[in-house]
Amino acid sequence: MIKEQVQLPLHVALTVAMQGIRIRFGRSVVTILGVALGIAFLMAMLAGMALNRGVAGEDRARAEARRMLNFLTVESGSLDGKTASIICTGPLDPFEERLVGQLSAAGLEELRWTALAGTPPPAVSSGAPFRQTYLSGAGDGASALIVMGAGPPPDIVWEPVLAGMRKQLAAFTRAIPASPPGDAHTTIVSLSREPSADERERAAAEKRRAAARQLWVIVISLAVTVIGISNAMLMSVTERFREIGTMKCLGALSSFIRMLFLIESAFVGAVGSVAGCAAGALFAALAYTGIYGLALTTRSAYGQLSSLALYAAAAVAAGMVLSVVAAIYPASVASRMVPANALRSNV
Amino acid sequence: MALSREHHAALFECAPGGERPCVIHAVDVKKIYGAGENQTFALRGATLDVYKGEYLSIMGPSGSGKSTLFNMIGALQKPTDGRVYIDQVDIAHLDHNELAWLRCRKIGYVFQTFNLIQVMTCLENVMLPMSFAGMETDAAREKAVTILKLVGLGHRALHKPAELSGGQQQRCAIARALANSPEIILADEPTANLDQRTGQEMIDLLSHLNKTLNVTVISATHDLKMLQSSHRILWIEDGRIVKSAKPEELDFSSSEFH
Repeated sequence: MIKEQVQLPLHVALTVAMQGIRIRFGRSVVTILGVALGIAFLMAMLAGMALNRGVAGEDRARAEARRMLNFLTVESGSLDGKTASIICTGPLDPFEERLVGQLSAAGLEELRWTALAGTPPPAVSSGAPFRQTYLSGAGDGASALIVMGAGPPPDIVWEPVLAGMRKQLAAFTRAIPASPPGDAHTTIVSLSREPSADERERAAAEKRRAAARQLWVIVISLAVTVIGISNAMLMSVTERFREIGTMKCLGALSSFIRMLFLIESAFVGAVGSVAGCAAGALFAALAYTGIYGLALTTRSAYGQLSSLALYAAAAVAAGMVLSVVAAIYPASVASRMVPANALRSNV
Repeated sequence: MALSREHHAALFECAPGGERPCVIHAVDVKKIYGAGENQTFALRGATLDVYKGEYLSIMGPSGSGKSTLFNMIGALQKPTDGRVYIDQVDIAHLDHNELAWLRCRKIGYVFQTFNLIQVMTCLENVMLPMSFAGMETDAAREKAVTILKLVGLGHRALHKPAELSGGQQQRCAIARALANSPEIILADEPTANLDQRTGQEMIDLLSHLNKTLNVTVISATHDLKMLQSSHRILWIEDGRIVKSAKPEELDFSSSEFH
C-alpha cells in the first residue's frame, strides 16, 4: 500500500538546481563572489610568489651581468667610445643576455655580433647598434672580444681575428678552450665564476627560508579561502531551511535535497573559482607592475609561466573542491532534518 | 514488517469492512520535547480516528499541542510514544523513503504561512510535488493548470507568490496540496493570516473540495467560521483531547465562543 518514493534522475536535480540558481540570481552572485574572493586572495598570493621569484631571478641575473662587465672593464679599461665584439656560439643564458644588454648600454661606439651557430642577437632596449659581421671582420679595431653562448668552445683560427684588435683581449663567459687563443700578448679573461662554499651555503639557506615563507603564505591563504567559502556555502544553505522543510513535506527525498545543494555548490564553486583566479592573477600583476614596472613584470611572468599555470589550476581546483566540501555538511544536515523542524526553523 | 502491519490493521476499531473507512487512527500519541529538567510535554496522549471524506476541525489555544498533533498525524514527525496509523499503516515502521512517498501522495499540506517557494511561479509550485512523484513535465503542467483553475487561480498561474494577495497565495498552496490527488488535506490554521472575508473564501474552498473530491480535510483552527463548515470538532487542551462535538450540537452564541 505504501511504496518507495521514486528516486528522481540526476537531470531533474540538475534542472531544479540550475533553475534555483537562475531565479535566485542575485543571491547566487553573492555566493559566487564569496568563493571568488577567497580564491582571488589565494591566487594573488600564489601569483605574487611566482612573480617575486621572477623578479628575484632577474635581479640576480642583472647583478651577475654587472659583475661580468666590471670584470671585463678592469682588463679592457673604459669601453666608452670603443668597439666590442661578441662571438656567439649558441643560445644565451639569462646572465649572458643581460651582459649583452649592459654592454650595449655602456657607451660603445659599435657592438659587433658574430653568430657561429646562427643565434640572433637578443633584443636590447637602447644603446649601441649591433653590427653583424663575419668572423674575419670580428676583431678589426675592437678593444675586447667576448665569447659567449651554450655552444662548444669555438674551434677557429684565432690569429687573424686577434691580429686586427686594438688590444688583444679575449673574454670567455664559459669554459676557456683547452688550447687558449693567441700568444704572450693576448690577455685571456674568464668571466664565469664558481661561487665560493660560503656563498653556496648562504644561497641554500636563503632558499630554505624562502620555501618556509612560501609554505606559510600558502597555509594562511588556504585558511582564509576555506573560511570564506564555507561561510558563503553555509549561509546559502541555512537561509533555505524553510524551503527545504516545505520540499520534504511535498515528498522530496533527503538524497534529492543533498544532490540539489551539491550540484549548486559545484556550479557556484566552478564559476567563482575561475573568476577569482583571474581576478587574483590580475591583481598581483597590477601590484607588481606598480612596483617594478611593466617590462620587468612581463619578463618575470613570462619566465614563471609554467608555475603560474600550475598555481592557477591548483587555485581553481581548490575552489571547486572546497565549495563542494563546504556544502556537504550543511546540505546533509538540512536534508536529514525532520520536516516539522525545518518548517519551524526561523533561520 | 508486513506481518506487524497486518497485525496492527486487525486491531483497528474501524478496520476494513467496518462502518466507515478510517484514514487516520492515532492511539495514545505522546510527544516530549527536550530531556531531563527541560522536558516539555507537547502531547500527553491523544487518541483519535479520522474517517474518510470527513471535514474535521481541531480547536485549541496556542501551545495546546495542536500543531504537534498535526505534525504527528501528517507524518512530519514521529511520536515519542503511541501509534499513528495512516491508511492502516503504522508510520513508525516506515523508512524515510516510504515516508516521502506518503507525504507526496497521501497527504496535502496547507500551512498558516502558506510556505510557497518564493522563487517559483504558482504553476511551478504546484508542479513541484508532481515532479517529486516522477510525473512527466508536460503532464504535470497540464494537471497543475487544471488544479489552479479549480481553486480559482488560473489567471495567476505565471505569477510569483510575492505578486499575489494572501488569499491568492493560500489558494495556490491549496492547489499544491491537491497536486498528487491526496486522500487527506492537512490544514494548519489556514485562515490565521488572512482577513475575515478571504478566510471565509478559503473555508468555502476547502469545504467545496471536501464535498466534490471527497478528500478528507483536517484543519486546525481558532476560527469559528471553520467550525460551522466541519462535520466534527475536537478540542485539545494541554496536550489532551478534551471534547468532541458536531457543529449542530454547539451553541455558537454562547460565551464559550466569544
